[in-house]
Amino acid sequence: MLAIALPLEVLPEPETSHAGAVLIELGVILLVLAVLGRVAARLGIPSIPLYLLAGLVMGDGGFIPVSAGEEFLAVGAEIGVVLLLLLLGLEYSPEDLRNGLKSNWAAGLLDGVANAVPGFAVGLMLGWSPTAALLLAGVTYISSSGIIARLLNDFERVANRETPIVLSLLVMEDIVMAVFLPIVAVLLVGASLLQGAIAAGVALGIVALAFVISMRFSHHVSRLVHSRSRELLLLGVLGLTFLVAGLADAVQVSAAVGAFLLGLTLSGQVADDVRTLLPPLRDVFGGLFFVFFGLMIDPRDLIPVLLPALALALVTAVTKIYTGMWAAKRNGIGPKGQWRTGLSLVPRGEFSIVIAGLGVAAGAESQLGPFTAAYVLILAVVGSLLMRFADKIPPPGTWGGRQQSAPSVAAPSPARARHIPPT
Amino acid sequence: MNIYETPLPGIGVRYEFQAEGGDHVGVVVRRDGKRDIALYDREDPDSCKGTVELSEGDASKVAELLGGTNITARLDTLSHMVEGLSIEWVTMPAAGGLTDKTIGDGRIRTETSASVVAVIRGDDGIPGPEPDFTLRAGDTVLVMGGADAVRSATSILTG
Repeated sequence: MLAIALPLEVLPEPETSHAGAVLIELGVILLVLAVLGRVAARLGIPSIPLYLLAGLVMGDGGFIPVSAGEEFLAVGAEIGVVLLLLLLGLEYSPEDLRNGLKSNWAAGLLDGVANAVPGFAVGLMLGWSPTAALLLAGVTYISSSGIIARLLNDFERVANRETPIVLSLLVMEDIVMAVFLPIVAVLLVGASLLQGAIAAGVALGIVALAFVISMRFSHHVSRLVHSRSRELLLLGVLGLTFLVAGLADAVQVSAAVGAFLLGLTLSGQVADDVRTLLPPLRDVFGGLFFVFFGLMIDPRDLIPVLLPALALALVTAVTKIYTGMWAAKRNGIGPKGQWRTGLSLVPRGEFSIVIAGLGVAAGAESQLGPFTAAYVLILAVVGSLLMRFADKIPPPGTWGGRQQSAPSVAAPSPARARHIPPT
Repeated sequence: MNIYETPLPGIGVRYEFQAEGGDHVGVVVRRDGKRDIALYDREDPDSCKGTVELSEGDASKVAELLGGTNITARLDTLSHMVEGLSIEWVTMPAAGGLTDKTIGDGRIRTETSASVVAVIRGDDGIPGPEPDFTLRAGDTVLVMGGADAVRSATSILTG
């Protein structure tokens, strides 16, 4: 057998047919994503859960085998996560981050406690290690800014008075992630407590440095890659991103974290250009990332985690709604607006998958992948539906049959609003 | 009429005012230059009855139709392009400050490095006023420069 097989391997023929097989598989996957994207748009739900489902039904234990292209998919998925996090970091300007920290830190604190604790507790109850439970805490804490921002636009709620509150909570979560991700990355390496503390200190130092660079020297970084030519700009930005991500990975801070911090650092003209240039690329590779995440999961592993994931989804949907309503009430939003704020925060998505992906890559807990997949599938779909029908679902205040109190007079709070003289 | 400004992280800025007829109107200026005009719901003042999305070109056309000028919008893009550039509209007080004095009297340029770029008096805009231009109560003075410079210029102007 071996003697016959060997000469075949040195022939160039299998090489070319392998490339062909990779292209065919990749083509099929991308076409499936294209079809699913249309279906999602038709149904009015985000495409992330459908991409995950596509990954689940492919690969091990699924209906469609993927073998030849797996290597490319793995690299593509890594690029996807790097681009996803670069753009997540880019989403808010340094000024947004500063304002976010100043104005809504109390709501941000409630958000963190109310939504991370259930995840952590369930992780421990399932008998996971504290690190894996901490990852699950991150998964349940972080709302999907990608899904929420898109839906706010689709449902024409950008001008609504509660929208700044929704956005400021998302900004807070972004800031928390900048600290959380490096620490988790360090913990995943399996350091001892002291090593972990030192490494976490180093990680925090890097984050602080990234913020300082972003506040003080961002125009230097920006000038480094800026160009009027789209081609040169794209090459410069991608080069810098991959380099930073790779270096971060080399010092075990994880490529995703490196890309995220770089995104926070870039600002000004370059940030604007990148925001228009990179999204299509991110959507392609990000799609591959979600497929790959599903691909790595045997759908049969979903069955044992389905019930706890459902229970946790229910609990953390309620805690998110409560967080949003509390924050909105504090800002003088009326009952209906409070309800919309709460429901708008329920969707979980790309960030949760990224956090779980870190754990899966480090082999932290075999159940973490399937659990997160089930959890995100539920809350991405249910969350977007809740958001869509927010005005049709009666808020809890009216459940007892009471008539809703008169709408609050919503003058914008003078502390946040700036008066502009007529021109 | 009071216009309120609220930052929308990741999206842009929302401006909001109450029209004389009682309707609450919002304008969202997005980071990419698009504008949304929104009409708030009287029943539920936090939500919008409807929004109109305008491209940058649409927006300036509508602004012309409404009889306005594009100064604010253009200044907006300008301050985005030059980091640290501060632009302030200063309304001249009834008395005190530089009211009834010339711009040259304030020595704004020499002492603060900020520039008086234009003065708006009633419906007229006076671009690049000379140092001997006399300011009057109610004039709106457009000052540009670094943030600190503009602040000290404002205190010279208003006294």
